[in-house]
Amino acid sequence: MYPATRRAFLRGAALGGAALIGGPALVTGGVRPARAAGATLAVYNGQHRPPVEALIAAFSAATGIDVSVRHGSSAQLASQLIEEGDHSPADLFWSEESPSLFALSEKGLLAPLQSDTLGAVPAEYSAKDGTWIGATARCRVVVYNKAAVDPKALPASVLDFASEAYADKVAFAPASGAFQQQIMAVMILKGRDTALAWLKGLKRYGRVYNSDSAAVEAVEGGDIPIALSNNYYWHALAREIGADDVQSAIYNIGHGDPGTLITVSGAGVLKTARNAEAAQRFVAYMVSAEGQAAIVGAIAEYPLRPGVVSPFPLTPFDTLDPAPVTPNQLGDAEAALALLREAELA
Amino acid sequence: MSESFGDLAGVIATPRPRRGRRRRSLPPFLVLAALVPTVLIALPIIYVLIRSADAGWSGIAAELFRQRTLMLFWNTSVLTFSVTILALLIGVAGAWCTERSDLPGRALWRILFCLPLAMPAFVASFAWKSIGPAFQGMPGAILILSMESFPLVFLPVAAALRSMDPGPEEVSRSLGQGPRATFLKVIVPRALPAAGGGALLVTAHMLSEFGALSLLRVQTLTTAIFQQYELQFDNASAAVLSALLMLFCLPVAFGEIYLRGSQRRDKVGRSAVRSRRMAQLGVWTLPALAFFALIAVISLGVPFGRLGYWLLRGVSAGRGLEAIGPALWGSLSLAIPGTFVTTLVALPLVLVALRGGGRVARLAERLPYIVHGLPGLVVALALVYASIRLLPAVYQTRAVLFAAYAILFMPLAQSALRASAELVSPEMEDVARTLGRGAFAAFVSVTLPALAPGFGAGLALVALELMRELTATLILAPTGVATLATEVWSLTSDGAYAAAAPFAAALVLISGLPVYIFTLRTLDPRGRRVRKSRQRS
Repeated sequence: MYPATRRAFLRGAALGGAALIGGPALVTGGVRPARAAGATLAVYNGQHRPPVEALIAAFSAATGIDVSVRHGSSAQLASQLIEEGDHSPADLFWSEESPSLFALSEKGLLAPLQSDTLGAVPAEYSAKDGTWIGATARCRVVVYNKAAVDPKALPASVLDFASEAYADKVAFAPASGAFQQQIMAVMILKGRDTALAWLKGLKRYGRVYNSDSAAVEAVEGGDIPIALSNNYYWHALAREIGADDVQSAIYNIGHGDPGTLITVSGAGVLKTARNAEAAQRFVAYMVSAEGQAAIVGAIAEYPLRPGVVSPFPLTPFDTLDPAPVTPNQLGDAEAALALLREAELA
Repeated sequence: MSESFGDLAGVIATPRPRRGRRRRSLPPFLVLAALVPTVLIALPIIYVLIRSADAGWSGIAAELFRQRTLMLFWNTSVLTFSVTILALLIGVAGAWCTERSDLPGRALWRILFCLPLAMPAFVASFAWKSIGPAFQGMPGAILILSMESFPLVFLPVAAALRSMDPGPEEVSRSLGQGPRATFLKVIVPRALPAAGGGALLVTAHMLSEFGALSLLRVQTLTTAIFQQYELQFDNASAAVLSALLMLFCLPVAFGEIYLRGSQRRDKVGRSAVRSRRMAQLGVWTLPALAFFALIAVISLGVPFGRLGYWLLRGVSAGRGLEAIGPALWGSLSLAIPGTFVTTLVALPLVLVALRGGGRVARLAERLPYIVHGLPGLVVALALVYASIRLLPAVYQTRAVLFAAYAILFMPLAQSALRASAELVSPEMEDVARTLGRGAFAAFVSVTLPALAPGFGAGLALVALELMRELTATLILAPTGVATLATEVWSLTSDGAYAAAAPFAAALVLISGLPVYIFTLRTLDPRGRRVRKSRQRS
């Protein structure tokens, strides 16, 4: 009696298990390779999700093209694309930062973009060989807690934070791609030795956070007075909390110091893209007036297409007076990684 | 009666030696089936070795002897050791009080001490971190992770205490041993395998924990491997750190063998449940109650309270709510089949090792325990590497993700299966064969049904782990498939806590079911029969 019911149970369980394994596979075409998905545009996305979701919704509505997205961090997806090589199911790579695009371009994985598309934004923010384009700009800033810091007393250079005067007062995220670009900017403008000394100073006197957003939250919560961050993390936080309740603020160093650095997010089309035409259309849409409005409505970044206005209270782009370093000069930022390792920060 | 004495002597003197199993020839289908898990498990090990080799000997040495690697090694040791010890203390104390003392409200405390299992560590960490900076860093991480992991010790120990035959204890007392001596010489040795097994599970969790530690700003080998991967365009130093992490897992893998060797095996038909006298707590009642209340508040009150707070406030609340259905479906459609795949893949490995497959089989059976402490990331990278090169057609399909799940969580299924497989005598299958069944038919009709009771707890634990699995899912899931865990992760990393809260709440709720089954199965493995015998008495 007992074994018989148990056997019956097992049979049922085996059938149920098979159904559960097979069912979803049948419904979603599970065991079929993702790249056989036909006309759906496959995007690998390293950018924050709200702007990507906003743009895809607008793009699909305008063109009728379906888009499937694979989210991840930009550097991680770039590595994955390199690993995938010819077998990549991706059509398009949307990166949060230019070094990942630069690396793919160096490996010869990106196809040239259409010249009309490239012409929509100032040339200095895109690849020299036209294989990727900058869509929006973000800015390295200093975020400070209003109760703990008088902005007038903040230093004239980001290099000054790596000193005893700021012991345990500065939060930074060495693993973030944007911080690595900032290291590159310091190296380009001030030399390798200065950059290394700066990092060693930050390691000694600063406090390591896992991400810019964690650092900004720590400042908002009063855990630490100052953070080195991208501008939009603060805007996202201020939007979440409400502008009246927010305890922190943005400080722009300006006058060409690497503390104020413009970096770009952008996109490139894979040479192996199966939907190359749709991918090219997507990139063109990214830098169209409609597309740019959709993106900058969802994240506090600067539109690179002239004439588009962000709804966020951004510091005007032309008053930033940023470090004179372009995304092409930043390259793939590998030198920054070497410095991080040398300073024992990575 | 004489058997009771025999039992007592065996228990008091030395742990009983393992019953030798006669070596017999293995059915070929079983050997073939055991190759599947062995090949799978070998993948991440080979991958780590290949990638480490890319760095060259000098590169490996340079990476190993950096100041930073020492720091990571130290942090990993401190965290793993402290959390394991704390979980062990809380779990054992809790189990003893709820099973062997007259503590008021034992049934309630038993439930409250199991519930933290439903709270993923990274959700709890987020809740604590949002209170203030004091909970970040190593002390905070040790506190929070101990609080979320002690049920892994509490449950098996409570089950062991409950199912222990009271005979040896009574005999020990009747022979003039005091309560303390009886506890130390009779109860402790028999609860040790359960406590040890739970502690090893906690250890393995700490070695591979990423989400919680990342939120709490604690750097361990695993978080550093992630950081390397985020930073890199080369994987070599992540690979060297992974190899180092695997060394950490060796004691876990072999500790499990040792504990199992000392385990007394149950006999199927034993009627163990008899009423026993509960220890009187006396003046210790109030302190004990305070202890239980404190643990409940820390392990449940704070995380659930913060989750509720974020559910109610924040501008991002309500954003992306329409994604909750697909994410729930994503979680279930990956976790449930993944659980069956993991268990099925583990089964031949257990059977081959149990039936004297020799040294190779025993090593193969150990390998999953070594890989178990690796972060999901490394396993995922290994599968990306292997599937693109060897089987591009399955890349980014569920098949690869299920393979990753099997590699990561096979030991959980193995332990549960092994416990019940040891109770099945191979002679039963021989009888079926003499009655004319083929090897495979005999296996399916005799051995498999007899294994079924062990499935429950193992399956539930694997399902629980799969529902909260994050990193392998992020990398390997088919494009466009999201789970509750990946949604919580991506929303919290964008700072949209209020938007993340409903997903986290849904994750905790659906984790409740496997927790319930796991708890029930562990505390009451033969539930039906016990109930029947109670009705009779």
